[in-house]
Amino acid sequence: MILLDTQLLTLFTAGALIVIGIFAAIYIDNIIKKIVGLSFIEEGVNLFIISLGYKSGGVIPILLPGMNIKWFANNSAYPLPQALVLTSIVIGASTLAVMLALSMVLYKKHGSLSASKILNHESDMGDEL
Amino acid sequence: MYELIILIIIIIVTLLSAILALVRTDLLEVAILSGITGLGIALLFQLLLAPDVALTQAIVGAGIIPVFLALAIKKTTRVDDG
Amino acid sequence: MNISIPLIVIIPLIAALFLNLFAGKNKIIKVLAFIVGLGLPILTLTTSYGLHYFGGHQPLALSNIANLSTYITNSSLYNLHPAITYAYTPIAKVFIFALGIVVFLSIFSYLNSENKASGPFLFMVFMATASVSALLLSDDLFNMYVFFEIAALIQTGIIIASSAKDNYETALKYMILSSIGGPILLLGITILLAICGSVNITDISLAISNLVHTPEASGVVLFAFSLIFFGWLYASGLPPFNVIKSLVYSKAEPYGSSVLQAMSLISLIAFIIAMFRIFGTLDIFKGVMIFISIASMILGVSMAAMQTDFRRMIAYLSVGELGFVGLGFGIGGNFAITAGLFQGLNEMIVTTLLFIGLGTVVYLTNTSDTRKLGGLIGKNTFMAIMILLGGLAMAGVPPFNGFRSKLMIVEAALNTGFPEIAVIIILISIATFFVFVKAFHSIFLKPQPRDLTFIRDSIPKSILFTVLVLLIICLILGLYPELVTNPISQSIGGLL
Repeated sequence: MILLDTQLLTLFTAGALIVIGIFAAIYIDNIIKKIVGLSFIEEGVNLFIISLGYKSGGVIPILLPGMNIKWFANNSAYPLPQALVLTSIVIGASTLAVMLALSMVLYKKHGSLSASKILNHESDMGDEL
Repeated sequence: MYELIILIIIIIVTLLSAILALVRTDLLEVAILSGITGLGIALLFQLLLAPDVALTQAIVGAGIIPVFLALAIKKTTRVDDG
Repeated sequence: MNISIPLIVIIPLIAALFLNLFAGKNKIIKVLAFIVGLGLPILTLTTSYGLHYFGGHQPLALSNIANLSTYITNSSLYNLHPAITYAYTPIAKVFIFALGIVVFLSIFSYLNSENKASGPFLFMVFMATASVSALLLSDDLFNMYVFFEIAALIQTGIIIASSAKDNYETALKYMILSSIGGPILLLGITILLAICGSVNITDISLAISNLVHTPEASGVVLFAFSLIFFGWLYASGLPPFNVIKSLVYSKAEPYGSSVLQAMSLISLIAFIIAMFRIFGTLDIFKGVMIFISIASMILGVSMAAMQTDFRRMIAYLSVGELGFVGLGFGIGGNFAITAGLFQGLNEMIVTTLLFIGLGTVVYLTNTSDTRKLGGLIGKNTFMAIMILLGGLAMAGVPPFNGFRSKLMIVEAALNTGFPEIAVIIILISIATFFVFVKAFHSIFLKPQPRDLTFIRDSIPKSILFTVLVLLIICLILGLYPELVTNPISQSIGGLL
């Protein structure tokens, strides 16, 4: 079966994670769960990037002593996406931490984690200071 | 074939825990399930020939993020009342 | 190799770290912030144009290696940029210099109107400077994405540092949107990486220009364009993100809002130039730009007209004015793009003037509701007149800079056969004028309400000085626009 290919399956997983995350970010009311959903979007995109660099039947892109360079260049996975994802993972974690800190402050203020109570209680027309 | 079965199992566990994380009402379970998703993604990275990224993702996705979530839940509330 | 190009980003980063280190030591913070704030514009002026390859990793074509076999010199690998590249162009010089001035004046008025300098706030401001300068300098899409995320975090930080009501709610809302916009932008960049194998804009634009006309690839290129376009809309606060962006501006302190609007303007310009270089040959590029710009202008002015809070009014006006930049790129051609970028620069300076100038109203009365204000012209006539002149500059009244740039865009629209756009621009300018004069009347001219209480008696001299400097810059740019338009059009000529 053509569907049972490592790269295709992981691309599908990445897409599913992004869709689940966007769904959670839009429809779920609890802020902690919303933030978890947002982290799923991040992780899905990371998985997408890594699976683009995959080479079926290839090797890890680390040049070990004794390897034939020409063979290595033809068979290793593409390392650039992997370097990008390392940065992206850290950015995702720090964004998540800031959002969690904000939700902790807002829980103290409102006594609830419900997004509809916290985020929509003020009018968007700016009637107050 | 053997590798493919492992891959499919990992994918199913990852997606299932991601969906479960969003429907459970106990937020501590949500934190743990999101950790399982993070770990599943780390394993997928390993299968996709990216061992160093897998290491980072295992630390961040399965360690740091669930701990952050658990800390936030400890300071707020454990039950999703919505 | 030009070592002072990365210094433009590194110096504010280091300054930010040191300011955080000395938190609490008021005097050191003030002196350090002042010196760095003054030094940054000077550094941008003295740096010469050029490219900087990080780690010295330049393309093979530049290395002059003898006896390379032809299968390497003929492949695209020969011109591939292997490392992050920073390009210091005249556009970057103009905008980073203007950013330096805006940041310096914001810090100056902040340090003089607050008794205690807050280390974290100044940290945010310098990180903001570094991140948007890097956005403008970088020739590498992933590097731009990283600084885009940093900029989003900094913007949240500036809102958190303010004392406005409901600032945490706004910060969380903005963060949630940024965690959707950021990954979507990254996805777009990734697709380009998958097509071209590189994240360098020069490499990508070379590859795309060949691919765009092949039917198999054009769909993927369009998909990447739409994803990056979405991220750009979020970063610059064009519709549908104009509401959250203006909310963000109005929740920060006046000196914070002036930095925030400069940040979103420069991220808009950095991404629009990158998109223009990569996707400029797409058929729909111009149409989409014109559509979104006009939508932004109309929404901006009409929502500004409905506000009773003058900070949100200025915020909506400034978000709406961003549409002019996109319009320049939508009309196309060197003259129109130069006009759009010139208008962007003017907008940045005028909005800073208005945020800092009208910040004095909040400073005196602690309210920003136009219905509760009135008769403030008696407090400080000089300031009121300067704010009025600033508003006129924004609306496009001669001899100020706004008039020059809007005239250029109208001319460009007429020359390229879009008289409808020219009419819309003129109508928007008139509407901006009315919105501003109405707000000015209700703050400064109408009789003072009885229940209006003052928490402070006078405006600090430093804010008067700041606003005066900004007004003089507006006047100079209005009288001698060549100072800015020549370098910009020179840069654009290189891109076309």
